[in-house]
Amino acid sequence: MTTLTQEQAAVPDGTVRKLTYVKAFNEGLAQAMREDENVFVAGEDVAGYGGVFRMFDNLLDEFGPRRMIDTPISEAALVGLGVGAAARGLRPVVDLMFMDFIGVCLDQIVNQAAKMKYMFGGAVSVPLTITTASGAGLGAAAQHSQSLEAWLAHVPGLKVVMPCDAYTAKGLTVSAIRDDNPVVVMLNKVLLGSTGHVPEEIYGIPLGRAHTARQGSDVTVIALGRMVGEALAAADELAAEGVEIEVIDPRTVQPLDTETMFASVRRTNRALVVHEAVTFGGLGAEIAAQIQDAVFDHLDAPVLRIGAPFSPVPFSPVLEKAYVPDRARIVQGCRRLLERA
Amino acid sequence: MAQKKPADTAEHRTSSQVIKDLHERMVRIRLFETEAGKLMEAGRLPGFLHLYVGQEAVAAGVMAALRDDDQITSTHRGHGHAVAKGVGFREMYAELYGRATGACLGRGGSMHINDVSLGMLGANGIVGAGVPIAVGAAFAARYKGEDSVAVTFFGDGATNIGAFHEGANMAAVLGLPVVFVCENNGYAEFTPQSQHMLLTDVADRAASYGMPSVIVDGMDAVAVHRAATDAVARARSGAGPMMIEAKTYRYFDHQGVKGLRHPYRSDEEVAEWKARDPIDLLEARAAADGTATRAELDDTWQRTRDEIAEAIAYAESSPLPDTADLLLNVYSG
Amino acid sequence: MSDVAVEVLLPKIGLTMQEGTIEEWLVPTGAAVAEGEALLRIATDKVDVDVEAEAGGLLHPVVPAGTTVPAGALIGWLLAEGEQPPDPAGTPMPAGSGAGTGTAGGPASVWSTALGAASGSPAPKTGVAGAGVSAGPTTPGAGTGFPAPMQTGAAAGTLAGPTASGILTASPASAAPPLNGGGATTAGPAGRLLASPNARRVALGAGVDLTAVRGTGPRGRIVSEDVEEFLAGLPGEAAPSLRSATPVVSASPVPPATAVSSVTAVSPLVRRLAKERGIDLSEVNGTGPGGRIRRSDLDPAGPPREPAPRRRNAAPRPGDVLPLTGMRGTIARRMHASLQEMAQLTHGYEVRMDAVVSLRDRLKEEWADTELPVPTLNDFLLKAAALALRTHPLLNATVRDDGIHLLDDVHLGFAVAVPGGLMVPVIEDAAVLPLPEIARTAKALAQAAREGRIPPDRLEGATFTVTSLGGYGVDFFTPVINPGNVAILGVGRLRDGVEWLDDRPLRTRVLTLSLTFDHRAVDGAPAAEYLRTVGELLRKPLRLLV
Repeated sequence: MTTLTQEQAAVPDGTVRKLTYVKAFNEGLAQAMREDENVFVAGEDVAGYGGVFRMFDNLLDEFGPRRMIDTPISEAALVGLGVGAAARGLRPVVDLMFMDFIGVCLDQIVNQAAKMKYMFGGAVSVPLTITTASGAGLGAAAQHSQSLEAWLAHVPGLKVVMPCDAYTAKGLTVSAIRDDNPVVVMLNKVLLGSTGHVPEEIYGIPLGRAHTARQGSDVTVIALGRMVGEALAAADELAAEGVEIEVIDPRTVQPLDTETMFASVRRTNRALVVHEAVTFGGLGAEIAAQIQDAVFDHLDAPVLRIGAPFSPVPFSPVLEKAYVPDRARIVQGCRRLLERA
Repeated sequence: MAQKKPADTAEHRTSSQVIKDLHERMVRIRLFETEAGKLMEAGRLPGFLHLYVGQEAVAAGVMAALRDDDQITSTHRGHGHAVAKGVGFREMYAELYGRATGACLGRGGSMHINDVSLGMLGANGIVGAGVPIAVGAAFAARYKGEDSVAVTFFGDGATNIGAFHEGANMAAVLGLPVVFVCENNGYAEFTPQSQHMLLTDVADRAASYGMPSVIVDGMDAVAVHRAATDAVARARSGAGPMMIEAKTYRYFDHQGVKGLRHPYRSDEEVAEWKARDPIDLLEARAAADGTATRAELDDTWQRTRDEIAEAIAYAESSPLPDTADLLLNVYSG
Repeated sequence: MSDVAVEVLLPKIGLTMQEGTIEEWLVPTGAAVAEGEALLRIATDKVDVDVEAEAGGLLHPVVPAGTTVPAGALIGWLLAEGEQPPDPAGTPMPAGSGAGTGTAGGPASVWSTALGAASGSPAPKTGVAGAGVSAGPTTPGAGTGFPAPMQTGAAAGTLAGPTASGILTASPASAAPPLNGGGATTAGPAGRLLASPNARRVALGAGVDLTAVRGTGPRGRIVSEDVEEFLAGLPGEAAPSLRSATPVVSASPVPPATAVSSVTAVSPLVRRLAKERGIDLSEVNGTGPGGRIRRSDLDPAGPPREPAPRRRNAAPRPGDVLPLTGMRGTIARRMHASLQEMAQLTHGYEVRMDAVVSLRDRLKEEWADTELPVPTLNDFLLKAAALALRTHPLLNATVRDDGIHLLDDVHLGFAVAVPGGLMVPVIEDAAVLPLPEIARTAKALAQAAREGRIPPDRLEGATFTVTSLGGYGVDFFTPVINPGNVAILGVGRLRDGVEWLDDRPLRTRVLTLSLTFDHRAVDGAPAAEYLRTVGELLRKPLRLLV
């Protein structure tokens, strides 16, 4: 398996190639399909239309209707199709368009895909990839803006990845497809058009391994998905004041690389978790609990969680902006953790 | 799309081999289930037990029409499908006992018995959930260029859940080789069909997905077998999915052996169905047309009893799972 | 495990020890220790030494690491399971309101008094009601004189119950001077000490009693930096016993904005810089938003602040001020006392070393296959100095009020440079020891001294001292007599000399001895005679071998 760092993302002539997040995803998917004949894509408007977010652009042209399947708006049957096909040896990629839609197919994800291997005494594997777009910030309101990673990360048998940039969008997608377990790839809608360095060749990013996006000594900020970028921006702002925060991108929230977090907190003695999802019962609660459990004696402050307030995602831009955590709230949180008289 | 009327099988001769095959599959189910019921009443099995007794003709008739590489998805009442598909008594009883040698290594229990090598993609604890999975299995077969089919079993109650409708429509629009077998035993758990749908025939629902259907006497194994043979051949030929509605009856309660609470069905009703017991019907037919002798049929019963006794002894002497392996198979790799 | 509380007293090690510094508690607070197990490490004026537990029990330190206390002082308890220390003053971390009784009884020592006052603070009545909370902290100095430290906690808006400020102001700590510049104990609601887990961990490792540490974190919580700064003895946080009460925050007016700002945070960078420069942040006027201390605020406009003493074992750098404590303090005190008390003067005297050098070369050859250690030049000098004292007893004496006591035995001290100072291990009965024995002993003692594991009794009782700077290229110097002795012999560099045979120069090997003696006891002539004897012994070194 090829694993490249962002720094290696240079094309042969030495220039660095930039790609949008959505194109990086598309490229990784196409390369994975070329790599393995058993990979196919099914979903609503994925073939003829290329996906409502252009995630699947041009794939029908290359791979044809056998491997690019437009389905009815039937998420339960869609995921079930993936489960059955995966159990029979294929590597389905099924697209749920908006993450909010998992409500209508949760049984297939939670009770079928996730548990089949276990319930069957290991007799089958379910190498199923579920792609979906999550996150607020586009005025898509309460049913098209959620970040529901906590629901899924709670289910044994599932893996959940949250790409935070173009590089991880491609690498994590490739790894998800190559993985022999059901993996949910939570793309972020706001990031779709963002650009970043992306190697041209196919590469995977190890699942279950966190990435230290920035090193620092004063506070460990564990940021999920789009919040990684916000945390890095917060780090820049705080650095100007002499505060060095360490930004950890778990990349995979299930399995969760807590060791990297623990090691960081042992050095910084302060931790903050930030995610778009509502704070209550979010991954932040899990991470905070694990940190206090493992490195309690290294904490100089309670682990701080930053998430959305306990309400549906609002529509009006002014409300939505206030709702979603951002750089400013992370900066404020870090200051609060470091507050001394 | 027109429904086929139930075939009158009494006038058609069926080969001796098929009769004996159907008989043996039914006897195996009957004895497996009645012994399991006894073990449960004796308090020797943990968990739930949804017994298949009374419906044997459906599983036997369909499975006798399948090849080993054909796939099935089953229900919470799945023992009959598993036995008919060829899953061994030993691993089935061991699973009911929660032993390490069970079909699911003691991780699944009654509702998750499977044998992927025999195309048994599992019983399922969620009503209707097996339907889309069978659609996926059929998709995989076609994707790989194989001519195997997928059969999904479900009850009348399951046709009220979304997964059934989504799966039926998906199979139809994708033209996949899926055979939908509704075992209509008249009750969704404890609720009679008349209270959970306004249709008399579940098969009517197939029409709404552009799918042909047929209604058969679910107590007549030969009738089920003929309908299944037709539907499987059709699916295998690439003509798409089809539905079979088998009118049948379960002798025992939804769960366990006896009804514990309200008498949701009358003694008369139960007696009426039992008078048309599928095994009795087949044995009478064999005696009438000479496809099997009494001695041959008795021999099947006896061999099966012996095999079950041995399998139960095997299960009881099997090791319990090691708690150190609690996390085994949560993930691949 | 003992049935009753066993006192842990600072042991008196050696006759001259007056006080010792608790370097480190070797057992965590509350941990079980067996009799004979190493309990703590103390630094005396001579040596660091591990002290063993005299009984088994659960350790309950009373005095934090880094504190200097007199020999014999109560420094901790060894308790039975579930047992409380007899004197509540010894409670390092008050666990509840019951701890408040400690101040009434007459505490046994300065340290326990202070701790008692601090740790015994009950949760105050003030601030229990919400009104009290908002009134107190937002009115700088209202009725308390302690406006600042608790503004933070209150302004953070998180306190429902008593604020830390309320506790401080109502605490007995304001009556009895607190340990470290005011407001050591930081008690939360119900009197619980607020300290972060990391602070507790760091404190445990360093043997610091958290009640002696001022908390600066949110709601006045003690954070690990507070402990580290306490250990480092930053201004405002020096050794508790040495501190008088000063307000936590200086009298310099705090901009009014501070009192209502959400957070009076100090960035870690500023904190680090302040630490490096030895600046007490409480004395810095923040010019940033809300009175925030900015980096530029640290730049000295006025006179430089009292620099911070550096942590132990850190290499001294320009600009540092090394505290006159521990070994450094001992050396300073003793050397100064020596010169004040005695009438010291020094003779220089060149001795021929040819014979010693050639004998040594022979021994290197002949003893190569034996276990015998080949003596160094210094070993020859030690032996010569000791042997010469047998014939010049005036120089092996001590001056007391009743006169000059000539001593029976020759116990030879020799100076060894060690990190942070010097030590003088003692070779007992050096005059009668064969040279190989002296060589072996000297080597072992020097090594033990350098590694800080020399037994304290091997630093006691020198009757005469030899010190060498030859290795540093020094020929002549004026060594200072160790108090209690009347002379010290300095050894210079081994070098080439010239002797004239008729008109022909002959190359020789020589070094200069520098003998400082106390003229009160020894006159110039007998001192010179002693030197001549030493010189003769070195010319005929075979006598030194046995």
